[in-house]
Amino acid sequence: MTSIGIAIGFYALAGLAIGSSLLVFLTRNLLHAVIFAILAFIGMAGLFVTLSADFLAVSQIMIYAGAISVLLVFAVMLTPYASRDNGNSLFAPAGVLVGLGFAALIGFIATQVAWPAFTGGDLEAQNFTGTVRTIGSALLGDYALPFELASVLLLAALVGAIALVREDER
Amino acid sequence: MTTAAEPYVLNIGPQHPSTHGVFRLRVVMDGERIQDIDMVVGYLHRSMEKLAEERTYTQNIPFTDRTDYLAAMSNNLGYCLAVERLAGVEVPERAQFLRVIFAELQRLASHSMANGTFINDAGAWQTPLMYMFREREKILDLFEMTCGARLTTNYMRIGGVSFDPPPEFYPAVEALIGELPERIAEYTELLVDNEILIARARGVGVLSAADAINGSITGPMLRASGVPWDLRKADPYCAYEKFDFEIPVGQNGDCYDRFMVRLEEMRQSVRIIRQALDGLPSGSHKTEIPLALRPAPGEAYARVEGPRGELGFYVVSDGGPAPARFHIRAPSLINLSLLRQMAVGASLPDAIVALGSTDIVVGEIDR
Amino acid sequence: MRAALDPIRIRVPMSTGGMIASAITLVVLLGAAAGVGFLVLSGALDGRWYDFRDLGVGMAHLTEWLDEQNAGQSEATRALLGDHWMSWITSALIGGIGILSFVGGVLLILIWVERRLIARIQVRRGPNRLGPYGLLQPLADAIKLIQKEVLIPEGADRFLFFLPPILVFIPGLLVWGPVPWAPNMAYLDLNVGVLYLIAISSLATVAIFIAGWSSNNHYALLGAMRTVAMMISYEIPLGMALISVVLLAGSMQLSEIVAWQAQHYAWMAFLIPFSLFTFFFASTAELNRTPNDIAEAESEIVAGFHTEYSGMKFGLFYAVELGNAVAVAAFVTAFFLGGWSLFGLELFIPGYIIFATKVAAGYFVLVWLRGTLPRFRLDQLMAFAWKYLIPITIAHTTLVAAEVTAMGALALPGVIELGVVAAVNLAFTVWVMRRWARFLGYRPETERVMQPKLTTQVGGLQAAERMRASS
Repeated sequence: MTSIGIAIGFYALAGLAIGSSLLVFLTRNLLHAVIFAILAFIGMAGLFVTLSADFLAVSQIMIYAGAISVLLVFAVMLTPYASRDNGNSLFAPAGVLVGLGFAALIGFIATQVAWPAFTGGDLEAQNFTGTVRTIGSALLGDYALPFELASVLLLAALVGAIALVREDER
Repeated sequence: MTTAAEPYVLNIGPQHPSTHGVFRLRVVMDGERIQDIDMVVGYLHRSMEKLAEERTYTQNIPFTDRTDYLAAMSNNLGYCLAVERLAGVEVPERAQFLRVIFAELQRLASHSMANGTFINDAGAWQTPLMYMFREREKILDLFEMTCGARLTTNYMRIGGVSFDPPPEFYPAVEALIGELPERIAEYTELLVDNEILIARARGVGVLSAADAINGSITGPMLRASGVPWDLRKADPYCAYEKFDFEIPVGQNGDCYDRFMVRLEEMRQSVRIIRQALDGLPSGSHKTEIPLALRPAPGEAYARVEGPRGELGFYVVSDGGPAPARFHIRAPSLINLSLLRQMAVGASLPDAIVALGSTDIVVGEIDR
Repeated sequence: MRAALDPIRIRVPMSTGGMIASAITLVVLLGAAAGVGFLVLSGALDGRWYDFRDLGVGMAHLTEWLDEQNAGQSEATRALLGDHWMSWITSALIGGIGILSFVGGVLLILIWVERRLIARIQVRRGPNRLGPYGLLQPLADAIKLIQKEVLIPEGADRFLFFLPPILVFIPGLLVWGPVPWAPNMAYLDLNVGVLYLIAISSLATVAIFIAGWSSNNHYALLGAMRTVAMMISYEIPLGMALISVVLLAGSMQLSEIVAWQAQHYAWMAFLIPFSLFTFFFASTAELNRTPNDIAEAESEIVAGFHTEYSGMKFGLFYAVELGNAVAVAAFVTAFFLGGWSLFGLELFIPGYIIFATKVAAGYFVLVWLRGTLPRFRLDQLMAFAWKYLIPITIAHTTLVAAEVTAMGALALPGVIELGVVAAVNLAFTVWVMRRWARFLGYRPETERVMQPKLTTQVGGLQAAERMRASS
């Protein structure tokens, strides 16, 4: 944290992300949960911005807050037994246990792995202008195979979805 | 996991921007397809036919204004023809020509409104409507000049017309029909080859000739379906046999053809008015009849070609000053009965466009 | 009588006072223009803080001065707050207040502009009662909407009902950040500006859907679903049209795109006309404006997703729709019409005035379309997006990518390169659009209008058969 501004920004965004995520499973109404999920996505995008990941941040907003949120709302609307209630269920204790386990796993990874650390000064020294070119060349160069596989997977999902909802032409 | 879908009921009206009056349409829809429609009329019922039995024949003429309030002159004309047939009253020739002029002016005004609201239903945010209203305003000004009212004119009388048009009427109507052909050409240019209008109206609400005849459809809807039937030629009344005009006949029976037929009828009306003005004889404008006309007992039916179709008036007399029975054959009601056939299976926008092309006036449906 | 029958021939009465006033105004303007030209040519304005052609230069001077003040502060303050806190806070305040007041002012004025323009297209006058030329109409509208009773439909979720107007206003405000008004006057000059624009405009989709859903109303839900389907379909051609722009300009930064157009004296509209058409058409779909306003088709489903919204909530929806229209005009200007550049004239005329003029022209085209065309049906719109626009856009993007690679490989003079690119793209556009439409089943000659036949013989069904057989 090079200055108080960045510190305030980070804690505010982290609070937004964590708080909204908490509210997602604490609210009763499923659609309210979707709204808080959108807020959490936007908080995440903000955190990406503090890490100078410009392309990721904007893609996060475009994909998650823009499109996946619509998907979530449709899903909530079409689920027959949702009854708009996020209330108590038998799965609550199990869910908390799984969540704690997951948090422990991620915390272990986050603290014990030697992440390479970059600060703003380092990036400036490298004449950092943006991540778009790097990501682009990586996706079409080193990571071309995963990129193509991902697009084939998306195509399969698209075709499958259309095939599932097509009416029989009589 | 199977998902079940059930149809839902959408209520269009009675207050709605596009039902052309207070008229309710209950639509059972499955997604965007219409499965069934149910029309509920009667919101504008004013029991005119019953009220007419308490009033003299002349006092009933304002009632006919208010049934089809967009074509008051045609209504007046039909009723006066029926009573004249019943009472055996002769109409002077000048009055007949004047009646033709005003009936055709009314047809122009009504078709302007019909086409304008049709395109409004297709979505063009009232611009063509405003353009067509220019002419309608001028025509209504002419009506006001002659009989004092724009919409509910109460102009025809049993035995002729009520007032001779004032001297300033003739140059005004000459100016109007002088500029009308180019105005109609303007609308044609703006709308006829319009891709969006073609996409919205071609193939929508198709009625075949047989369906139309079986459903008792008359008027521009019938002619758009290909049947060349016009009462002004088939059963001429009131000096129409003296004029030279043609009737437009469509080919597909869809909404687009109805729009084109109405546009073409506007051109033919201009022709008729031109001929009537040129040949306007002099003479009196009405025959004097007693204040409380008592026709001999009997019945009469007279029909005119109104802008919406065959407008019929059935009058029964029992010798008294008031009719014993007065019935209006409203073309809008009968044309509307085929909306179900046009709309079922279509999507909601198509049904609205089809409803717009039937050109209904709810005052006539409910009377 | 003649005058009363001809309301269209409107003559503006010019009194002698009016003519003298116009003449004086003209002379003053010419004098000002000459003065400005002299100043520019003598170099008295370059880089000074009073360079009114580009307010960004003044801003840069202000920032420098503030940083100097900042450097004179104590060590403790600088360690705590950083080296630039004064200039950052000042520029944040100026930019924020500037954008807010600009958007607010634009929204107010737009209501008046839109209503008067549409009225003129419809041969009527538009609002002319409140204030001179009806200029106080937006104020009256705002006051009317604010003082309305707050109605929430029974069964509607209160939280979800209040949220959409706010959710829709936020993108409407944020989207004005990257807009480059002059070479140094882009407030939020992101290096992923194009992507940012697409992302922010996709935030409105979920807001509209929640608006329709939370109203507890059939019409609203129908409208919301239609809107969402249409908006997400048209996001794809929108983005892909912008990819061609990015490929040619080599950067996603809006100021860079405009600078590229200024430097090459070539507007993207000449080079990639198909992208301009796609972007414009897809934007009308995103904006829910005619010819693509099926979502609020007044004649069918009353008002679509904002049926149940009354008072200021509806006011926000309406105002934001208009504001987004101007924002789209601003993007079309920045991406395709050269932004603040005008083939060298931007030395004399301030860049932001050129930009504003182009934005006004773009907005005028949008209002013109709204006033003239009927609307498409939803399935026609969707078919157009998925079957027609997206395949052609993909082919077009491939073509532009090939052209950019060729331009990089061969180092020909810029004029020849760009001329060839423009010619090839134009030919491609015209040829592909017609061939593809034909391939998809569009047959203009069979769909051409069949005029009604004129006859004087009446008859019934048999006459109808005879007439049909004789054609």
